[in-house]
Amino acid sequence: MRETLATRLALIAPAHALVGGVILLPACYLVWLSFQQSTFGVQATFVGFANYARVLADGYFWRAMANTALVVLAVVHIELLLGLAMALLFASGLPFRKVLLAAVLAPYAVSEVAAVVMWRTLFDADVGHVAWLLKALGLPTLEWAVSPTQGLAMVALLSVWLHLPFTFMILYAARLALPTDLYEAARIDGATGFQAFRRVTLPLLMPAILIAALFRLIFAFRLFGEVWLLTGGGPARSTEVVAVYLYLEAFRYNAFGPAAATGWLMVVASLVLAAPYLWRLARTHAET
Amino acid sequence: MPKPRRLLVKAAKALAVAAILLWSLAPIVLIVSAAFKPERDIFAVPPTLLFEPTLSHFGALWRRWPEFFRALGNSLVVTVLATLIAVAASALAGYAYSRFRAPWLSASAFWLIVVRLIPPIVVTLPLFPAVNYLGLQDTHIWLSILYATFFVSLGTFVMRAFIDQIPRELDEAASVDGAGRLTTLVRVIAPLAAQGMLAVSVFVIVFAWNEFLFAFIFTSTRARTAPLVLADMVGNFDGVEWGTLFAAATVQLLPVLAFVWLTQRYLVAGLTAGATKG
Repeated sequence: MRETLATRLALIAPAHALVGGVILLPACYLVWLSFQQSTFGVQATFVGFANYARVLADGYFWRAMANTALVVLAVVHIELLLGLAMALLFASGLPFRKVLLAAVLAPYAVSEVAAVVMWRTLFDADVGHVAWLLKALGLPTLEWAVSPTQGLAMVALLSVWLHLPFTFMILYAARLALPTDLYEAARIDGATGFQAFRRVTLPLLMPAILIAALFRLIFAFRLFGEVWLLTGGGPARSTEVVAVYLYLEAFRYNAFGPAAATGWLMVVASLVLAAPYLWRLARTHAET
Repeated sequence: MPKPRRLLVKAAKALAVAAILLWSLAPIVLIVSAAFKPERDIFAVPPTLLFEPTLSHFGALWRRWPEFFRALGNSLVVTVLATLIAVAASALAGYAYSRFRAPWLSASAFWLIVVRLIPPIVVTLPLFPAVNYLGLQDTHIWLSILYATFFVSLGTFVMRAFIDQIPRELDEAASVDGAGRLTTLVRVIAPLAAQGMLAVSVFVIVFAWNEFLFAFIFTSTRARTAPLVLADMVGNFDGVEWGTLFAAATVQLLPVLAFVWLTQRYLVAGLTAGATKG
């Protein structure tokens, strides 16, 4: 078939126009902006690395960064563990598999806002069912509005609930793609269930686990809605995450330069957090 | 396996399944059922299973928060537009990446993924003044373009995986019959790649219907979407009208939940194609 360069270009043009215009071009402008002092209606002036210095010297920034890293690492690893366990459970054969899958997928359809309504209600000190249950068991309830740690724990709980279906589906799909004769062979060789898991399932699932981890690490780092709607970053800015910090810098304090610098620091930080997984993934690819 | 052990395994499995069901469904069931419960039954402990269903909370929602229903309309418009844009752009690019090979094409495909590493909140900052300048602030079309953009990368790879399954001979046969590229794409490829397009739509629809951050920054009145009004209700919550709040959450949630359940198959197929091959 006769092909012209123009056809190829025309076919990929819409996708690249969207990504270029909405993400790439603004990102380039952001690099420029991060070296300027700028706010509404004032001519920008070049200030070198002053914005980065200001952000890096801000205690609230580091607090937000630490909160983000903590929540993201907890959320992603809990998701991977639970997702893997559920994928293996489903693969081991369950009755009503389709119905159960539908149930597991359900939180994927729930918006951040609706999820906040649900979990706030469940933990409401006066009327919540979970709060009541905790009290009945003689346990202290989660005081997410007062204590920063418990506020972040609540954010993490919400995040895991919302995103577990995604992690689970990637791992389950990967588990289903494994050839069954390998398990036959392992069984004939006298491997126990655990040995089969250690020596067959886990190594073969590793690429999928790493991909799921990467996806989730990078996406979880954008955490905004859950925190904004649950604690608003409070009390006293103690539960802020990086995205909330950036939002406040830009849209509340109109400090565009520092906000732009925060944006780049955020990209770098998410890559640093994902680096060990990226490195592992590159190595597994090189081996096979 | 000896019999007692088998029973033990079965019991453990049943317990695990029960825990999974409770975890995944209990929050949803509680809120949705509470939306239909009379006020006095909502927080009964243990939760009442038998109650006289009432629509009074939905009535109150209609009277007190008329903007919620306007916002639902906005959500619908934005979701449909975003889906059309994302599916069209992904299908075209996916076709190109499936059929043609060239170093610059592979590079541009890789590029689509790299760009996605930039968090959405980072681009809102430079876009905000630009969008104001262009008069796009608070418009449906701008929100749709934003949503579509953030799914074009995944969409393109899902479409490529699906189009890879369609034999090239079909393209060639169409070409021999005198069909151009576009005709081939619309008449031959699109019908066969319909499943892939559906898979992409599921992702975009769920995202666009539920999204908070972009709508929070780029809309105020005209194009305000349902999650924002729901967030307002949470923010202004007086601790009394739980039923109205639950009714709103239910109305926002149920359509997309039903949709996800109906299209479950495509969601799984899309995730598999996008995550393992992309």
